[in-house]
Amino acid sequence: MDYYLVTEDSIDITESLTMIDDPRTGAQAIFLGTVRNEYNGRQSLGLYYDAYPAMAHARIKKIGEALKQDFAISHVVIIHRIGELPVGAASVLVAVSAPHREAAFAAAKAGIDRVKQEVPIWKKEHWADGPSEWHDDPSHSGNIK
Amino acid sequence: MSNAQITVLFFSFAADRMNAREKIYELSTPVSIQEFFHKNLSASLKEPLESWLFSVNEEWVDPQYHLRPGDALAVVPPVSGG
Repeated sequence: MDYYLVTEDSIDITESLTMIDDPRTGAQAIFLGTVRNEYNGRQSLGLYYDAYPAMAHARIKKIGEALKQDFAISHVVIIHRIGELPVGAASVLVAVSAPHREAAFAAAKAGIDRVKQEVPIWKKEHWADGPSEWHDDPSHSGNIK
Repeated sequence: MSNAQITVLFFSFAADRMNAREKIYELSTPVSIQEFFHKNLSASLKEPLESWLFSVNEEWVDPQYHLRPGDALAVVPPVSGG
């Protein structure tokens, strides 16, 4: 089955893999984005993710449907977690199943690339040594591209 | 809400600069997003019109879109998810 979710709950990886399971497929590729403890060498304590939930869900669904058009894959699950996330937490999951691995890898990569470019979600870095800053804010202190 | 109002949604640093995630505005006459932005938002949001994306009722629109009573306009900064 295909499944799309924007949630404040932790991402259930096992359940996601169950959803893309299919005896006609021989490959499952999963990309998991996790919260890092630094950004450009500056220590971070975690991230806060803001979202426009209705649009984010609609956009994630559209990306999943496009992946099924563009690649020979059978099922896709895309989940983005929002809210306060500590270092190490999974923030985003793209999981696909396909008859063969080439399509599975390619679709998972295209999926996460598109999620990062197109979904109305924003992250705020909680610096260890200063005030928190939005990644997209032009007035940030210069550590974030 | 009365017929002549619109709701404006703010996210990320736009919400910080407006000190609100949602505001109600009166629409006395039909205006484009561009006109509405310059009259009501640009002083607080600081970044120019070109820095933002806009959606109305969860569909992307361009700044020439004319706002109608009851519309929910979202001011959307460049995204940074993942």
